[in-house]
Amino acid sequence: MLSSGTEPVPEPAPTERLARQLIADTCGRPPADLQPEHELLGDLAIDSPKALRLLMDLEDQFGIEVADEDAASLRTVADVVAFVQEQAS
Amino acid sequence: MTAHRRRDPATVVGLLERAARDVPERGIAVLCSRGRGAERLTWPQVAERARRAAAAWAARGVAPGEPVAVVLPTSWDFLDAWLGAMVLGALPVASAPSAGLVPAEAPLRKLAGVVEHLGIRHIAAGGALRDAAAAHQDPALAALAARVTTPEALAASAVGAVGAEGPASPDDLAFLQLTSGSTGCPRAVEIRHRGAVHNAVAIDEAITAADAASPGGAHPLDGIVSWLPLHHDMGLVGCLLVAAAAGLDLWLLRPSTFLARPRLWLEHLGRHGEVFAHAPNFGYQLCVERLTPDERARLDLSPWRWAMTGAEMVREATARAFVEAFAPHGFRAEALRPCYGLAEATLAVTVDRAGRGLRLASPPCCGSGGAEDETSAVACLGPPVRDTRLRITAPDGRDLEAGAVGEVRVTGPGVFAGYRDDEAATAEALDGDELRTGDLGFVDARGELHLTGRIKELLILRGQNVMPHELEWVAERVMGGGGACRAGAFAIDAGAEGEQAVLALESRCVEPETAAALAADVRRCVQRELGIVPADVIVVRRGLLPRTTSGKLQRRALRDLYLRRALRPLSS
Repeated sequence: MLSSGTEPVPEPAPTERLARQLIADTCGRPPADLQPEHELLGDLAIDSPKALRLLMDLEDQFGIEVADEDAASLRTVADVVAFVQEQAS
Repeated sequence: MTAHRRRDPATVVGLLERAARDVPERGIAVLCSRGRGAERLTWPQVAERARRAAAAWAARGVAPGEPVAVVLPTSWDFLDAWLGAMVLGALPVASAPSAGLVPAEAPLRKLAGVVEHLGIRHIAAGGALRDAAAAHQDPALAALAARVTTPEALAASAVGAVGAEGPASPDDLAFLQLTSGSTGCPRAVEIRHRGAVHNAVAIDEAITAADAASPGGAHPLDGIVSWLPLHHDMGLVGCLLVAAAAGLDLWLLRPSTFLARPRLWLEHLGRHGEVFAHAPNFGYQLCVERLTPDERARLDLSPWRWAMTGAEMVREATARAFVEAFAPHGFRAEALRPCYGLAEATLAVTVDRAGRGLRLASPPCCGSGGAEDETSAVACLGPPVRDTRLRITAPDGRDLEAGAVGEVRVTGPGVFAGYRDDEAATAEALDGDELRTGDLGFVDARGELHLTGRIKELLILRGQNVMPHELEWVAERVMGGGGACRAGAFAIDAGAEGEQAVLALESRCVEPETAAALAADVRRCVQRELGIVPADVIVVRRGLLPRTTSGKLQRRALRDLYLRRALRPLSS
């Protein structure tokens, strides 16, 4: 519990945390395992149906629309996080 | 039966024209990639667009008889390009587009093989595929870019419309269907107009045989709701051509949309009147696994008249779980109807009779037809569709007694004309006018087919056929190739998941860490390049993959060793 006068503990940006959680849910690993450079398909075995599910989860959770051409450029965990941060800001 | 079925048109173009004439208010609705909105056109509009697209292809220099590749997702762009080419008398050949967030390179490479093999000059594809090809380091892939006609370019080429007469003869080829080949390049199955019309009409008849015709002779049902890919025979023939032949409404979802949100398929099945739908076993399984109780509670599946299941082994556990999950929401157990087909038969060979639900049987007597006689009970797939005959044969081609397990052979109007430009493969598959399916099964006393396994070395992953060497070549390249390393791929039954791929790699290395790193490398490349996620990748000592005396890999024996845990992997 925070009382007046104490500094709030810095938290990771909620957008990033949620994006990583959704990726983790999609590939069935704990969020802590995800490295920014992990490839969605090559490293995390997120095949195209899982990828679209992730995309639709991102759209629903962040209230954004992802165009197909943008979706095709999202290859790594870092790509997804950066894209969502940009779109949701 | 309905009045307009008494005399069927001679060609697929005729099916379109008939639907436009007889059921002008019905048509095709294509849902957007997120399944939120739909763009619907009536059959007269569909036919008119196809004639305009035919004229556009002609203006771009496409000649009748020439194969035209169509590499687009389920969309009006696909339908314009595919139907337009066919109306012109050219041969549309649909190839899987890359889908989703992470485009695998495999579709592009496969396309390059098809384009070279068939001498294709024109590819209907999106700008993204063209740009990806153009930017590729491999000159063979980069060369594809110049052959691409984007949907925008095709629309801009429209100069009126081709007349309604269409191709001259029912014996002309109508289109090509790609299927996995043993040489790494897909084979192109040649389908004649006569076979396509016959199969589409026969499927509709078999499915609706028990449904009372509506007053005035109208079709007893209203439509088809499909998420099946249009580059697959069950989507192309079983849904698109059957909808045209029967004069039904067709609701099309993209496969990726269904896989991401299976509830969308079920919601649409409850919304458009009395409908039927086809799906492979895994589609039903996905619905069971992915719909929450809340989502189920919002469904009304009572208008879903027939739920056809085919394209992979029909599993009792899936059927039972599906009925259990969805019966409270209007689904009838007897709506489930297994069927059997393959691209080389246009599509359907058998369709189960109406109203019985899933029934299982074991082979009544022991067969001598193949190595993989499985004794467990398997689904009844029904009798052959009209004018089609089954024969169960021993490896030497002689007839087996009723009830024995052997190779399934098929004759009938739907049997294909041959593999395009591949005489050797055609001679292997066609014995005169009889199709050797490579599948194993038996026919019961009522003349109904049951499949027990297959002779051909094929993996059926989520309804898609994959040849083992497609996986093996990627693995061998990662391992250094040069013929020194060998990999063996086969499918295992992963229960509700259906078939899954396993790769066994032979390596000189003996340290578990090196072996584990090799397995991880191979897995990463297979996933990245083919978009296939293997169930297991193991490394074994050199010489452990079983071979014939001439050195040919024995995948069936390898699979047996794996299942008996006799391979002793260095790492898995």
